[in-house]
Formats: sequence, C-alpha cells, structure tokens
Amino acid sequence: MASALVAQSRSPVGRRLVGALALAAVLVLLLMVPHAGLYYVRLADDVLIYTLLGFGLNLVIGYAGLLDLGFVAFYAVGAYTYALLASPQFGIHLPFLVILPIGAALAACFGILLGIPVLPLRGDYLAIVTLGFGEIIRILLNNMDAVTGGPQGVMMIDAPRLADYALISPRSFYWLLLGLCAVIGVLVLRLENSILGKAWAAIREDQDAARGIGIDTVRVKLAAFAISASIGGLAGVIFASFQRYVSPESFTFNESILIVLIIVIGGVGNILGVITGAVALIVLPELLRGVAQYRMMAFGFTLAALIILRPQGLVPRSFGPVRLLRWLLAS
Amino acid sequence: MSFAFDHVSKRFGSVVAIDDVSMTFEPGLIYAIIGPNGAGKSTLVNMAAGSYPVSSGSILLNGRKLERLKKHQISRAGVARTYQNIRLFDQMTVLENLEVALAPAEMRHAWREVLVPIYAGQATARRRATCLRLLEEFGLADVAGVHAELLPYGRQRMLEIARALVAEPSVLLLDEPAAGLNSAETDALKLRLRRLRRPNRVMVVIEHDMDLVMSLSDRIFVLHHGALLFHGTPAEVQANREVQEAYLGTDDDLESIRELARHRRAERGLRDQAGAVRHQA
Repeated sequence: MASALVAQSRSPVGRRLVGALALAAVLVLLLMVPHAGLYYVRLADDVLIYTLLGFGLNLVIGYAGLLDLGFVAFYAVGAYTYALLASPQFGIHLPFLVILPIGAALAACFGILLGIPVLPLRGDYLAIVTLGFGEIIRILLNNMDAVTGGPQGVMMIDAPRLADYALISPRSFYWLLLGLCAVIGVLVLRLENSILGKAWAAIREDQDAARGIGIDTVRVKLAAFAISASIGGLAGVIFASFQRYVSPESFTFNESILIVLIIVIGGVGNILGVITGAVALIVLPELLRGVAQYRMMAFGFTLAALIILRPQGLVPRSFGPVRLLRWLLAS
Repeated sequence: MSFAFDHVSKRFGSVVAIDDVSMTFEPGLIYAIIGPNGAGKSTLVNMAAGSYPVSSGSILLNGRKLERLKKHQISRAGVARTYQNIRLFDQMTVLENLEVALAPAEMRHAWREVLVPIYAGQATARRRATCLRLLEEFGLADVAGVHAELLPYGRQRMLEIARALVAEPSVLLLDEPAAGLNSAETDALKLRLRRLRRPNRVMVVIEHDMDLVMSLSDRIFVLHHGALLFHGTPAEVQANREVQEAYLGTDDDLESIRELARHRRAERGLRDQAGAVRHQA
C-alpha cells in the first residue's frame, strides 16, 4: 500500500511526506505493541527473538554463503548457559547481565568448534555436517541428565533483573528484545559494510579467488561462525530467561529449519529481509488459525508459493536499510 | 627484489608437467612465457601463486620459499595473478571487487571499523579513493557501481588486472591477458601493461598472441613439454630455429597440416554441392 501511495504522489515534497509518514507509522506501531493485548505482545516477542536468530544465521548463510542447518545448537548453548547459571539446578544464581556475555562467548566457542571441522566443506556437505552438529548438541542435552536435567530440562529459572527491575512480563521482554534487535541489527549492518563483510562476500562469490587476493579464508570464515553463534547464544539466554524453563524439545531440527526459512523467504543477506521473514513466518501461522486443521498445510503451500514466485526472497539483497531510508525520504 | 624458479618440477601422478625448470627474473622487466598448448605455462603460474603444490624445487621471492606458504600468504608476500578464465566476484560491484583486495591488509582493524563509526568512515573513504584512482587508470571509473558480471568481456579483463594491482604486488603474473580480446582491445592492453612496469616489479605474461609477446616483453622463456627450451630477447627467440620447430612443428609437420587443410576444404566443397543439389530437388 505504501508503494502505491508513493507512486501516486509525483511531487518530491509529497513523496518525502509519504515516506516520513510511513516511517512514523512503523515507529508508532512499535511503541503501541505493549499496549495491545497480551497475545499480541507475546507474538511480537516471538517475532523479535526470531529476528535476532535470523540476524545471527544470516551472517553465515547470507554474507559468507555457508549453508548452516544446525544453528539451533548455539541457541541451545545460550539458553542452557542461563538455565544452569541462574537456577536451583546447581544453586548458582548469577545476574542476567553477567550471563548474557558468558552465553554469547560460550556460543562463539561452540561456533568455532563447529567451524574448524567444516572449513573445507561447502554446499550440501556443509549442510549435512552442520545438521549433524545441531542434533549432537540436542542429544547431548537430552542425555546428560546430571548436568542438564535430561529430557525434563531445567526448571525454576531465575527471572532476569536489570538493576532493581525484574523482567517478568512479556511487555518488559518486548522492550529488552526490541532494544537488543536494534543494537545487533546496527552492528550486523556495520559488519556487512566493513572490510570483513566485503571479505565474506568475496568468499561467497569465489573462495579460491578470495584466497588468491590474500584473504585468509580460514580466519574469516571462523569469524563468521563465531559472531553468528554468539548472536544465537544471546537469543538463547533471553529465551531461557523469558520461558524460565528449558528442555531439549525447544531445540529440534525444526527450529533450525524455521530460522533458515526466515532468511530464505525474507531475503538472503539483507537484514530487512530477515525482519520481513521473521514477521511473515511467525505471524502467518497465527493468521491461518481460521482454517484450523488445515493450518500447517496452508502454511506449507504459502511457503512453496513464495519460493516459486519470489526465489530471491521478499526483499532483494540490494534493497538494504540504507536504500529503504533513501527510497522513503529522498526526493 | 628477486624472484626465481629454482629447479622446479611438477608431477601429476606419472605425468611430468614441469621438468626441472629454473628461471631468474629481474625487477623492472616484463617477461613472457610462451610454448605450445600443454607445455606447462599455466602450471608454472599456478605453482607460483600457490594453487598447485610444487613437486620438487623452490620458488623464491626475496629468498622466501613460496612453496612453503599457503595461497593467501603468497599473495600477501607480494605475488598477484590473473586467471586464464576470468575470475571476478560477479555479484559485487566493480569498486567492491577492488576494495576487497585491500581486506588482507586491513583485516586487523575490522573491529574498529564495526565499533567506531568515525574510523569506519575514514577507512571506507581511504579505500574508495585508492580504488577509484586505479579504476580511472583502467578506464573503469564510469562503471564503479555496476556488478562485475554485467561488464563486457574486455572490461572484465581490465578489472581483473586492476584487482591484481590493488595490493601493489612485486610479482604480477598474467595468465593469457589477451585471450578473447579483439585487436583494438589487445592494443589497449599492450599500452596499459607497459605502464605497469615498475623498477621493483617483475611482470610475467603467459600469452599466445605472438605480436603482443614480441612487442611487449623484454625477455622470453620458451617452454616445451614442461622443460625450458630457450630463453632470450624477442629478437633472439624469433631467430631461433629450435623454437620455431617447437611452436610450429618441423617443415614436415607443416606440410602435413597443409595437406589436411586442403583435404578439409575439398570435403566442405563437396558437402556444399550436395546441399545445393538437395535444395533444387
């Protein structure tokens, strides 16, 4: 609808006005969400957490061009880090803000751990090994009863506190997630435009030629895995602190696939695409509740149709946030 | 600055592709490596650039043994190359294709670039200026923002050479730079390559276009069946009978090729006639 409006207003001033109004509308919408019903706030929380996960995985898939099907493992590492360091499981109760970096760092270590063996692999082979890695982590969590509580998981996890303020309600998590998404989104965008982002793009395009111009592909790829995993870890910490309960069931292969789909449907290699994809894939199943038992079937058909009609994703790679702002505001 | 192949051999299984080749290159000169197809020219370049491991011998750059380095380290040591079939980063813009060649030198500061916006602005501006200057030199400034895959073939060649120059290499290896270019483009290439000569740079060109080789290079190495057959100035190479035989075959070979050509022409003539007859019928 916005595009139709823009097309109608021929004069530059009018066009700029429409653009500014559209931006303002999005901002107002973001501010209004917490005042909506609890159902909508929870939905928004879901969208934001998957946006965060999408930002992370997009580094590896979208920028470096490496198909990772085991991303949920890093999400799990972050979640269990919080679960074990802030629950009666071991009687440890570290503050949320201390665990947040620990979870991210630990996930980054796992990212490198996964990265090293898969360095020589590409395409299908890489996808299979990362898929296996995701499953290994989940099965470990399922079977290390003494540490992780096995299939029952970890219960009675502490509510996170920021200074004197306890984060319990979905509303407070909405603000936390929104803030984190904004910060990580900006960082990811800056990474994309940095020299490291250019090196990732070169690896994606032609790994051998990238080596030929002196790029240390080993280190550059490991950097992608580590940074991507740390974002997954952050999302995991927040997830655990929000649910206050974790079990291996939350970290199945389906989750990995959902995050990959968010990126592919939304638009590979573009954070606007990730946001669009997260909104589409989290909200769509809710909208389809009307068709009850055919819901998942309709969801599947919609995804298939989207992929066929727009193989490059809803938002093309070249249409990044900067282009969007320019398109909305410039004459 | 010194660059040399020291008794280099390359075996692929039982096939000897390069057989005990030694070459010394002097800075400031343009070298050509010529030889019939399969003589091992590209193999030499691929070994020097680290794409193939060396079977025996050494490739020395300022006393460093390049065969012990990884591919990216060889590039960092100052060896740049272009490919026989152009290899650009297709989905990146022309400017980005050059900028990314600065990545190895600037990767240490990547974190600062991400976290400090002012520094990022400066670094980007600096990179852009360096690369735009090079693009102007190569007549590519007008397409700086265009995806590399959209350029015509001749300009892609230029872009690839420009990319190899970003890091200011001391050894520049050009694998058939004139392949696929028309004669006007080849002339332009010749002028451009001449201007890339530096007192502290070795330029090595592998090329089939003999006009280009003879007019561009200062010294020529002739490879034949993986061994060094001859080396000298263009005039010396042209005067050498052994080289002519290796390249064109002996007079007997030449005669049999001519015979074959006559035969083919006659065959084609018959086919054409047959076609014409069918048409009438």
